Amino acid sequence: MIKLTHISKSFGRHQVLKQIDLTVEKGEVVVILGPSGSGKTTLLRCVNYLEKPSDGEIAIGDYRLSCKHASKKDIHQLRQKSAMVFQQYNLFKHKTALENVMEGLVVVKKLPKEEAKTRSIALLEKVGLGSKLDAYPSQLSGGQQQRVGIARALALEPEVILFDEPTSALDPELVGEVLAVIRKIAKEGITMIVVTHEMGFARDVANHVVFMDGGVIVEEGPPAELFNHPKEERTKQFLKRITPELNYSI
Amino acid sequence: MKIDPSFIWTALVQLLSAIPTTLVITAVSVTAGFVIGLITALLRIYKVPVLGQIATGYVTFIRGTPMLTHLLLIYFGLPMLLDALSAQFGWGFKSSSIPMIGFAFISFSITAGAYMAEVIRSGLLAVNRGQLEAAYSVGMTTPQALRRIVFPQALAVSLPNLSNSVIGMLHGSTLAFTVSVVEINAKAQIVASTNWKFFEAYLAAAVIFWGLTLLIERITAVIEKRINLYNRGGVA
Repeated sequence: MIKLTHISKSFGRHQVLKQIDLTVEKGEVVVILGPSGSGKTTLLRCVNYLEKPSDGEIAIGDYRLSCKHASKKDIHQLRQKSAMVFQQYNLFKHKTALENVMEGLVVVKKLPKEEAKTRSIALLEKVGLGSKLDAYPSQLSGGQQQRVGIARALALEPEVILFDEPTSALDPELVGEVLAVIRKIAKEGITMIVVTHEMGFARDVANHVVFMDGGVIVEEGPPAELFNHPKEERTKQFLKRITPELNYSI
Repeated sequence: MKIDPSFIWTALVQLLSAIPTTLVITAVSVTAGFVIGLITALLRIYKVPVLGQIATGYVTFIRGTPMLTHLLLIYFGLPMLLDALSAQFGWGFKSSSIPMIGFAFISFSITAGAYMAEVIRSGLLAVNRGQLEAAYSVGMTTPQALRRIVFPQALAVSLPNLSNSVIGMLHGSTLAFTVSVVEINAKAQIVASTNWKFFEAYLAAAVIFWGLTLLIERITAVIEKRINLYNRGGVA
């Protein structure tokens, strides 16, 4: 279980996150929606401390961290509880697909090389890249790179995988293959927090949808409820703009 | 005045004995310079309080003054400093026991460090921030991330400029003659002093330097090919 309590974050005088509370149950898929600048990506990055929250508390599993007094060691501990899939893939450029997946296992989890390799190959096969083990990121398409990114995150067996707009940088044709992989692992009961603009995906896969705007959670609930009967004006406006086929009465 | 082609060959053969000295000076100054440069670059990038400013001052001063000046400052200044310290603390150490080539090692390392610091800094800055974030996201510590992810990529980017530095130090090593170290150029002067055929002797020296430089270029090309496997350049 992941529990964020009163998470705040400011860049200079601009407060991006205002006392956010969010709970994610084990095995749950939470999708965060919101216009750009709403703070959704920042919130996600706070969970593994790529962004340092100004205040609040992060608890993942039985590990608890108070953001005001976090030491380097605490942060390192916290980061091992999660893994991240980036918008720009961020595969290690100088390593092959296989090495990318193995890296964390060998360096961080201290697994023997052979074991790490077997596990990594199995994961790359799972995301449909069994034939690309020795390819460098520059030799892969965006969709393939992102699938390696997902395999890299899965390999660490984290408590939660964080997806930061995993399909936003992809050609429309390649979005499908990446979403298919994410759907597949969602079904396996892996806890995920996903920031995305893919409404169809959010509807089908999410257990819980969060709508953020202006650094606060405006509304949250099960997808059927939030998409079909949004309560807040701001949510209705947003949903109407991005899914014009749904006619909301504002 | 006539050129004596056969003496070019004679000089060339005699100059061979000075090649090791030149290579040792180059190797020491480049190796030590790389370490100094790496530390300096990191201090500047991470804006470490006090040390970062010192690093910046070091780079500005060294790049703002000639390499020959560094050598002379070290050659005359270091013994004074060491003898004063030695007398103060009773080490019983005499600066006259430092071999001449030692001054070249120290001063050229300092020179190389400042130039290489900028080369390495540009290499480190060229690595996308996302690479470091990805390393953190898989649970690496900062030293692990730097060593395994950032440095290899930065090195690949810096390689052409680093080879420039190596060649610069190879040619700069000729200045060691001013503190009586006999490297290739000095040897040429000595060889010619018997018959005044300076042109032939220096021509022989030039040929050797060119040969060594070609060798460095070759080696760089091989390394570049190996560590840049992953890269598809923006242009080629």
